[in-house]
Amino acid sequence: MMAIKISQAHPLGASPDTRHTRRRSTVTEALQRDDTWSLALNRIAQDRCRKSFAAFFQHFSPLLKGFLMKGSRLNAAQAEELVQEVMIKVWGRAEQFDSTKSSATTWLYTIARNSRIDWLRRQSNAQTEELVADDLYEDESAETPFTQLQHARNEQTVVDALASLPDEQALVLKKVYMESKSHSEVSTELGLPLGTVKSRVRLALKKLQDVVGREACA
Amino acid sequence: MIKHHPDDNLLIEFSAGTLAFGQSIAVSSHLHFCHHCQQRVERLNHVGASLLTDVESVPVSDDLLDSVMAQLDAPTPKRKPAAPSNQKMPRVIDKILSKQGKAKWEFLTPSLDMARLHTGQQQFEVALHRIKAGGSVAQHDHRGTEITLVLDGSFSDENGIYNEGDFLVRDAGQVHRPLASRDAPCICLSVVAAPVRMTGPFMRLLNPFLSFKPL
Ligand SMILES: [Zn+2]
Repeated sequence: MMAIKISQAHPLGASPDTRHTRRRSTVTEALQRDDTWSLALNRIAQDRCRKSFAAFFQHFSPLLKGFLMKGSRLNAAQAEELVQEVMIKVWGRAEQFDSTKSSATTWLYTIARNSRIDWLRRQSNAQTEELVADDLYEDESAETPFTQLQHARNEQTVVDALASLPDEQALVLKKVYMESKSHSEVSTELGLPLGTVKSRVRLALKKLQDVVGREACA
Repeated sequence: MIKHHPDDNLLIEFSAGTLAFGQSIAVSSHLHFCHHCQQRVERLNHVGASLLTDVESVPVSDDLLDSVMAQLDAPTPKRKPAAPSNQKMPRVIDKILSKQGKAKWEFLTPSLDMARLHTGQQQFEVALHRIKAGGSVAQHDHRGTEITLVLDGSFSDENGIYNEGDFLVRDAGQVHRPLASRDAPCICLSVVAAPVRMTGPFMRLLNPFLSFKPL
């Protein structure tokens, strides 16, 4: 079923995007790469396929661990504890994954983010039985499903655009997303005024979103 | 038509998962009304996902996969979307209310009631405010940032009129005097960082927010 969706969504070669030949190949690669993991998730959901799960685990666990350990919030053991939690959720919720709504990596990112929020809240003795992060990030969208292609495209262009950001912008952005630091924490750590941190993050994101927006309309 | 949205920085922190939990409740509730911001958050999630795939990976312990595999058969609690009792309300508000019973309205002034929401965190006071039709709230200012989200009805202040889904941030020191529209009561979600005090000598006595924390 996925294969059909992909081939329908694949007039990429025929799209007006002939300006960037290089871009086209990286997008296609990203598409194939992400498609691998979407397919794996579908097999996990439908066939309870442990082999697919193991492959998914082996690919993403080291990335998740690196992501969670960046900065000083979590040590290696804590990061692994959280990787386990995230991966068990991947197995348990695979059937909720909808490749028309989200890419495999974005889906995984949101699970990891929410698990990290709750983990940090538990560390600070918040009462997580009242409300968990998943309650705040309910998927209510879906009015405009993106195709698999658009997802892969968006992500690859974001990766490209990230690489082109000025260092100072990339730094604050990574601190916010990967080190789970609020703007004010980043400002304290870097000894920058809060306004400067905010404007750098905003500039960085604006640049990324411009690129994503342009690609999505291309 | 929603005219007031969370700014970029709030949405970035929301997408990155670094926004304070109490404030995230307000952003989440806004997304319930606002397709535009849902899409903004979706794009920001792509950024998070890109950073995840772009990160320098760190090998995991050899036995981690086995350990996870061994736990896969344990029944995981299914996340069933709570049957919304009130589709109009953001689901997160619905969930909070269904957990704590229904809203327990406390009388504050003849035109204002308040119901606290239990959200498992103490950093922010999260509450529903209900202004009677045509009623006004005593002029007050804030010692901390206040987020207001209109859930039902509309209200106005010196700066304009706010309808369902509108998301407002008032910084500490900003004084305002909300007034509900004539025809219907207005229910707002309010997330405040620190106690609020009334301006004006008499208002101090009527400060409905005093009950949070005495000054
Ligand atoms: Zn909005």
